[in-house]
Amino acid sequence: MSSQIQGRYFGARGALFRLYILTSFLTLVTVGIYRFWAKTRIRKYIWSAASGDGDSFEYTGTGLEKFLGFLVAIVILAVYLGVVQMALFYFGLNLFVDPQSQGQELAQIGAIYITLLAVLPLMLFAQYRARRYKMARSRWRGIRFGMENGAWGYALRALGYYVLNVMTLGLLNPLATFKLEKYMADRSWYGDGQFVQTGRWQDLYAGMKHVFIGLGIIVVSFFLLAIMAAASGVGGAIIGGIAIFVGIIWLLIGLAYYRVYAFNYLTRHKVLDGEVTFDARMETGQVLRIFIIGSIIISVLMGVVFGVIGGVSVTMNQALLAGNIPLLVFIAALYMAAFLIAGGLSLVMITQPIIEHAVNHLHVYNADHLNTIQQRAADAGADAEGFADALDVGGAI
Amino acid sequence: MQAVGRFFDGESGQRLDVDLAVDTAAETLRLTHPELPLGSQYWPLDAIRALADHARTDQVVLKLRADAALDSGLIRTARLTVEDADMISILTRLCPDLKRRDVAQGTGRKVATRVGVAAAAIGLMIFVILPAMANTLATLIPIEREVAYGKTVVNQMERFLGGKEVGGLACTNPDGRAALDKMTARLTEAGDLRYDLNIGVFNHKMVNAFAAPGGQIVIMRGLLDRAETPDEIAAVLAHEIGHVEARDTTRNALRAAGSAGLLALVLGDFAGGSAVVVAAEYTLNASYTREAEAAADVFALNMMEAAGADAEALATFFDSLDGLERTLPDLPEYLSSHPETTDRAEAARTFAKTQGRTTPILDDKEWAALQNICKPAGN
Repeated sequence: MSSQIQGRYFGARGALFRLYILTSFLTLVTVGIYRFWAKTRIRKYIWSAASGDGDSFEYTGTGLEKFLGFLVAIVILAVYLGVVQMALFYFGLNLFVDPQSQGQELAQIGAIYITLLAVLPLMLFAQYRARRYKMARSRWRGIRFGMENGAWGYALRALGYYVLNVMTLGLLNPLATFKLEKYMADRSWYGDGQFVQTGRWQDLYAGMKHVFIGLGIIVVSFFLLAIMAAASGVGGAIIGGIAIFVGIIWLLIGLAYYRVYAFNYLTRHKVLDGEVTFDARMETGQVLRIFIIGSIIISVLMGVVFGVIGGVSVTMNQALLAGNIPLLVFIAALYMAAFLIAGGLSLVMITQPIIEHAVNHLHVYNADHLNTIQQRAADAGADAEGFADALDVGGAI
Repeated sequence: MQAVGRFFDGESGQRLDVDLAVDTAAETLRLTHPELPLGSQYWPLDAIRALADHARTDQVVLKLRADAALDSGLIRTARLTVEDADMISILTRLCPDLKRRDVAQGTGRKVATRVGVAAAAIGLMIFVILPAMANTLATLIPIEREVAYGKTVVNQMERFLGGKEVGGLACTNPDGRAALDKMTARLTEAGDLRYDLNIGVFNHKMVNAFAAPGGQIVIMRGLLDRAETPDEIAAVLAHEIGHVEARDTTRNALRAAGSAGLLALVLGDFAGGSAVVVAAEYTLNASYTREAEAAADVFALNMMEAAGADAEALATFFDSLDGLERTLPDLPEYLSSHPETTDRAEAARTFAKTQGRTTPILDDKEWAALQNICKPAGN
């Protein structure tokens, strides 16, 4: 057994795409009930594709327990959301109405924020619980990962850091990133070995450099634009406009750079059981390349497909309005199939390659110590992510 | 058959490269390694399970179903990875339940209970609590807000029916408009209405009319084409005014606002899920309760009576709807929300028998103008 381990990812596009299409189709025909099993099966695939030292990870979650957890969450959310929605409607803050005036538009934006704020603590709570659930259902070499209970503490801290972040215009973002990750990492275990997040939050500022450059370009070009427009008219305005555009692109790339930088830094400064250390060498360029190429291919493909479907429905408009049921069903089926394919493509062309990149660039040092780690007792409280499922947090997988 | 497998006992992170041998007579797989307790372990072939949806095609990961008497969990934590192709094919052939998913006893009951509780909670919300709240709120909501909302509903409906812009479907022939205004005036002069009515005609062939919150009523051209007398139109209009006055549409809109969020929650966010939500909401929304329909009918009959018009027109209209139901497939909404047309026609006829002398709502010339309301002026 080697003392240094490098991660390897074995997933294949075709197999995962077929699994996604199959499970999504089952989800569709069961009016959504199969989605818990679908998500579980995708996770099983991705976990088992990742391996260290030749040993695959294992995801032991089941669709059934997710379904049961969802049923509990829904009882609480049903009451909560039903009442909130109707109250909002009553106060004229309806989300489903076209705004007629500026006042209404503002009220609508306000309503969206109120709805979001009303569920934000629940979403943060769900976020922690979802990670805890995933940890409790992950194994490597038969040893369970785990996470201590602490979802409300996380939700409270996250709210606090977000408020701080907004008040300082994002200047304290590294503090929020670091402290929240530390809160979760310090409560994480592999078997009987505990993780510890070391490092300093100030170190993350180095990763913010491109964000600051992008912001700087935007601010400076705004000033220049104002001055130039007053002095030289159209020519100055065009240059200023281009500069702002460059600034925005720089900022977006800078944000991606920061996320990758923070992931690498935080991974490098994690210690397991006081002995085992890690190194992550993800590259922003590679991640962006995967993301941009994938997005372009998918959007071009989907643009063509939806264009064709749209064209068909417009030419058959009369037949559709007359209630030609088979045709209606046919077009609805085409539309849903296109959606399924788009989802599957984004999984195998963006999500999976980025995971693959992360796994392949992860190194574990002093890995011999892993042999001495013992199994931990099962986390009884880490039940399925009912709230996370109901509120759809957690994104792709 | 001999091969090597990687064994994890589920207790420590220690990996053991065990020697594997299938004993076909005893129907077991033997794992041998000096560090195993007693030097070897025997896995019954029928208790071996393979991990599902495993990404790697060059290996299988095996686990062992626990003996119920010894272990509370169904699956033991030990894992065995096999990469030898021959061994994999032999095990695939010899293990009868390799792909079986073991489910704990009592799972069915647990699922049934939780589904029951969740369904009851949602049902309670959608059918009891939200309607009750909607009833209360509908009487409290300020009229201006109702009117503003009603207008957006009409605009949305117009776009749904193919109008390119707001007012794109509206029929505005001045003579027809005058006839419609006269009809409205005659219907409403006797009673005191809570709402200022805003009645329009859409140039669409659907045989229908609908009311939106805050006094908005829309008649479709198809209804004008189909009706034989102006009194039939008046009767339908009076029926819709009944819905407006009883705030049925506002109540429905409030209910829909509450239940839309719920349904989206239950159905989840899968491809085209929102389409299902919209459809479900629509069905929920399109049907007033039977009581609301009956009340609107009574309102319409009384309004016709007060206007000195023949209430039997409502019955005649129901008869023609009944015929339509059998010949045309494109009328689901109006008919689904008006289920017992024959009974209701009967009620209207009984009412009409008690009426005294009546006069038609419009004269022939005005009726012709109303029917041509969607044609350009001067024709």
